[in-house]
Amino acid sequence: MKNFSSQTKREFLKRMAATISAGMVMGLPKITLAAGETIKIGFLAPLTGPVAAWGKPGLDGCQIWAERINAAGGIQINGESHPVEFIGYDNEYDPTKARAGASKLVIEDGVKFVMMLGGDTWPGAQPVADRTGMLFSTLLPSDLGPDTSTLIAPAEVHPIYNVTGVQWLAENYPDLKSAVICAQDDALGIPSVATYLAAFEAAGIANEDPILFDAATTDFAPIVSRMISLNTDIICLDTCYTEFVHPLVEQLFQQGYDGTVISCTADFYQQMIEKTSVEFMEGFIFQFPDFDDPALEQDFINFEDPGGFFAEYNNRHPGEWGAVSWEYASIMDLWKWAAEKANSIEPGDVLASMLESGKGEHAFGTADWWGSDLFGIDQALVGNWPVVAINDGKARIQEYKWIPGWYEEHGEILKKYFTEYNIMWDQR
Amino acid sequence: MIELLLQTGLNALFAAAYLSLVAVGLVLIFGVMGVINFAHGELFMLGAYVVVALYTNLQMPFFLVVAIGLIFVGLVGIVMEMTMFHPLRDNPLGGLVASIGFLMVIQALIILGFGVRMEHVPPVTQDVIVISEKVRLPVQRLFVILSALVCLSALWLFLKRTKFGWALRASAQDPEAAMLQGISTRTVSIIALFIGAALAGVAGSVAAPVISISPVIGHSVIVSAFIVIIVGGIGSLEGAVLASATYAFIHTVITTFVDGVIADIVGLSLMLMVLIIKPTGMFGTQDRV
Repeated sequence: MKNFSSQTKREFLKRMAATISAGMVMGLPKITLAAGETIKIGFLAPLTGPVAAWGKPGLDGCQIWAERINAAGGIQINGESHPVEFIGYDNEYDPTKARAGASKLVIEDGVKFVMMLGGDTWPGAQPVADRTGMLFSTLLPSDLGPDTSTLIAPAEVHPIYNVTGVQWLAENYPDLKSAVICAQDDALGIPSVATYLAAFEAAGIANEDPILFDAATTDFAPIVSRMISLNTDIICLDTCYTEFVHPLVEQLFQQGYDGTVISCTADFYQQMIEKTSVEFMEGFIFQFPDFDDPALEQDFINFEDPGGFFAEYNNRHPGEWGAVSWEYASIMDLWKWAAEKANSIEPGDVLASMLESGKGEHAFGTADWWGSDLFGIDQALVGNWPVVAINDGKARIQEYKWIPGWYEEHGEILKKYFTEYNIMWDQR
Repeated sequence: MIELLLQTGLNALFAAAYLSLVAVGLVLIFGVMGVINFAHGELFMLGAYVVVALYTNLQMPFFLVVAIGLIFVGLVGIVMEMTMFHPLRDNPLGGLVASIGFLMVIQALIILGFGVRMEHVPPVTQDVIVISEKVRLPVQRLFVILSALVCLSALWLFLKRTKFGWALRASAQDPEAAMLQGISTRTVSIIALFIGAALAGVAGSVAAPVISISPVIGHSVIVSAFIVIIVGGIGSLEGAVLASATYAFIHTVITTFVDGVIADIVGLSLMLMVLIIKPTGMFGTQDRV
């Protein structure tokens, strides 16, 4: 009886807290923005710790984005101009801190949109999203599911876009017939392993068994020795963290590997060149361009002045340009477009505006809201993705590939590997 | 296959070298002070950041920077002795808890000074000793192996052939008897902390060009070091060296031929087996050495 009573009391308090906080965000009448009132956007990502390379550069990019937008008159809602401001919260890639951060940003700071890296931190923030109806974004669409109705993956469809690098490789180097993948054994590495396995199989390239390692690994020589001993034409570095890609590449160089290397990212690749050589890095394939690339000056690109953005970023943060430096800013482009179209900054209105036509303006061109097949919900924005290779020490886009086209042809192979690794939305 | 085995042997030698430097320092501090220094991984990290600050940023000569790293981190060890371990010497858990706090302070200071991102250290040399097409030893990794040999040999000579070394061993074996012989256990403690910390510092400094440096690298190093000192016998310097070599060889072989994750599991299982079968470790005794 005592237990029952205390549980009831606890339940009652929990419900009261949930009701009050939900009421603060949803239950109250929509607050009309005062003229010139600042629009606050939450940035909930790792700003410190081992995964900070995929958080902090994004916030730095957003600050530049905000200054450019504010200088150009801000965000136009109902004919009024509103400046935009980012409020950062360091979740240290920890779900508990992500939950605390989400609550703070939504309830205390009154943000109207929260951008996240996602992954291990999304389960922490999800209860806040569910309770408040706040619109969240993730860089990792594997966070999506049928029950994540207020979560969107509008910038990158990691790891699905990795298929484009393999597709390009197979088309341009048909002699490459075998590959081995290595990855850290975690929520970021495994979906990427499944994707690369599917991409290689679809391209007629034989896969060796993937080599997985613990995320606490400090010495990569044994892993590289094993990969080299397999004598494959391609070594694939999957979506390894930057801290792993660099020593892996250095070891490949030092142990005399002379085949082709493909990787999801090559953040700070100039440092890798310094540790190896321009010749060794020639033809290194990855997926994230420098934004001074002439291929980003084409009409279908939906990113304002990419070259100027890149120059300003490097001016403020020399040598720190990475995969996510532009991504969160590009999400904000989409959010701004949707909010101005809806004449509202309320999360539900903006989301409806984004999804209305089934298409969205992605940085690399108009794309489709997609994903029910793999993620159980059509809230990942999928379209073109660039294949980047290092030529003469500089990363350059080789070609844009249309991801839905690849999926239409080879989607069943991808689903087979997603199922094998238990990462389909209905297996999670 | 033979080439892969030989390459694996060289890889294991490198891992054993830097791990033994860290583990011996940890054992030395425990032996004299009776304290498990949880911040020992951060001393390794500090050594690496000395290289970032002086070699990468100020472009000072690498080996001079390694020497500075050794002395600087050794001095940090003395600060730890004076501010934490000595004042808390009568509290059985005081030193351990204080060292956990200290590691957080060190991490925070490094983040404030250098940021959170991985640091880049340019290569000291790109020379590689080519034994055969697939058996290669990068000279940078050879530097780490040689540094471990030099430092551990010097430590052995210091402990066995000098008065300070005798005093240090005597204090570790029986502090009260050592005091009755006129040995200042305080001075011995300070020397032990300097040497123990300096060994971790030199490991971090000399390995800096071949590892990824970030404010959190101490975590992985300290976990391996704890496994090693438990397997070798807490308090045994010889045990720490032998266990480092054993652990590094087993871990490297399993990583190469089976799986890196399995290698970690086997490493931890090895520690558990030792704790069950011979809780004092391979070379440990009931008393501290």
